[in-house]
Amino acid sequence: MVDHGTDAALAALVAAARRSDVGRRLSGDVETRLLQSIVDATVQLFDAEAASIALFEQDPDRLEFRVAAGEHGAGAVGLTVPPTQGIAGFVYSTGQALALSDVADDPRFNRDAAEQTGYVPRSIAAAPLLDEHGTVGVLQVLDKRGSPTFSLRDMELLAVFASQATVAIASARVQRDTDRLLRSVLIQVEPDLDAEQVEAMVGAATRELDVDDESPFWLLVDQVARLRSLTDRETALLTDILEVVAAHAVERGRPGRTGP
Amino acid sequence: MTEPLPAWSEPFADPKHELRRSLRVRGVTRDWAWGGATGAGVRVGIIDSGLENDHPRLAGRVVDNVTVEIGEDGPTVVPDGPHDMYGHGTACGGIILGLAPEVELVSIRVLGADLRGKGTAFAAGLDWAIEEGLQVCNLSLSSKSESLYPIFHDLTDRAYFRGMALVSAANNVPAPSYPSLFSSVFSVAAHGEPDPWRLYYNPAPPVEFGAWGVDVPIAWKDGGSTVATGNSFAAPHVAGLVALILSKHPGLSPFEVKAILASVADNPGRRRRRAARP
Repeated sequence: MVDHGTDAALAALVAAARRSDVGRRLSGDVETRLLQSIVDATVQLFDAEAASIALFEQDPDRLEFRVAAGEHGAGAVGLTVPPTQGIAGFVYSTGQALALSDVADDPRFNRDAAEQTGYVPRSIAAAPLLDEHGTVGVLQVLDKRGSPTFSLRDMELLAVFASQATVAIASARVQRDTDRLLRSVLIQVEPDLDAEQVEAMVGAATRELDVDDESPFWLLVDQVARLRSLTDRETALLTDILEVVAAHAVERGRPGRTGP
Repeated sequence: MTEPLPAWSEPFADPKHELRRSLRVRGVTRDWAWGGATGAGVRVGIIDSGLENDHPRLAGRVVDNVTVEIGEDGPTVVPDGPHDMYGHGTACGGIILGLAPEVELVSIRVLGADLRGKGTAFAAGLDWAIEEGLQVCNLSLSSKSESLYPIFHDLTDRAYFRGMALVSAANNVPAPSYPSLFSSVFSVAAHGEPDPWRLYYNPAPPVEFGAWGVDVPIAWKDGGSTVATGNSFAAPHVAGLVALILSKHPGLSPFEVKAILASVADNPGRRRRRAARP
């Protein structure tokens, strides 16, 4: 990182990283909201007792139930299961959709996990959330009220909901994961960079992002997020005020973010 | 059908309307294809979560259990215990034995514990099965990894030229999945008619065959049983039929076996009209 070209590139990366992080902050937890709407719709359409989405997380490897819906769904949120166990684990590992009936009669069914949620189902259907790299999670439906089993059509519909969820996750993750975004862009525009160089540049660009969440800058971003309900006139007024303040900051030669 | 189904089981949801075209080769009937056959002399690999050798549904037909270890020098195939991490492999084995009771099953475990369905383990297991000279292999799993595409392509070609039938469950999600999308494999999706012998040929691939995969009574972990739905359980029905054909007609190529299956399939068409005649 010696010549001017690299400096300019780094400045662009820093700006991109900051924008991405601000965007994430402003839009709130899009992923959870979208996923919640998908499990809500799943429960409704299947007339099921519960539906949930578990996403794969690393260190340690686990499937974490992020959202749930239905009368018996709430207990699942926050629960984690190893990706090597149970129906969710199997569907995650194989990428194959699967439905089982009579699971409550089967003591070998991953009963511990089911009991932690306070609800032991009789039947369960699960579909993988598949993106272009592999399985990112699992969508589960427990106990259709109208039928003891799941039909072929149910499985196809479940797959449709699963692909909706995957799209939601993919779009939200691009925002969420600034590091990954920068890394993939760098590798694409500069394929000759080796892994170490890429990491160094990403590190340099995002170094300032992880500092104190309570800094005035981030508090400001949070305030702006809350201002989305303003009328157009109020927004215009606020923009004028901010413009004056920002110009003042620039005149004083303090570019970039203010903070401790 | 009031509205189209979204994915690849669609043709088998209403075969009367979707599968009119079918090939009938004179003389190639089910009786000719596998009448009197038991699967004897055919070794079938189950690339899955393992096989529970002492499960009542497997009736002592498991002759070998191996698994894949992923070390620093890459994957190696090593002996495995007579166990099943999920019950899924045992379910597939039980379905195959239901049709072809005298096949020998070989468990190639690529799921569970440290493997977590890694595509490289799957590829290594398939490689081993080909080298081992197994005649049929059931693959009720698939890989989505783009980077493994060329590896699976090479492996399926090698299996094909060696005369090994790879029977692969289609994915319910219409996304790339290997090797089930390769033309040389027997790709299978589920139909909902509760008959293990009912087979449909789909003239509009990528999914070529439809077999029973809805509410199938299956063997499960720890000697248990349950009822399951999924293309995973359709594929072993076709693997069982393929094993029967190869047991009666050893040495047929995958292409020939496919043609036989197409000819004896339950598609409505000529045979239906003939049956309607007095």
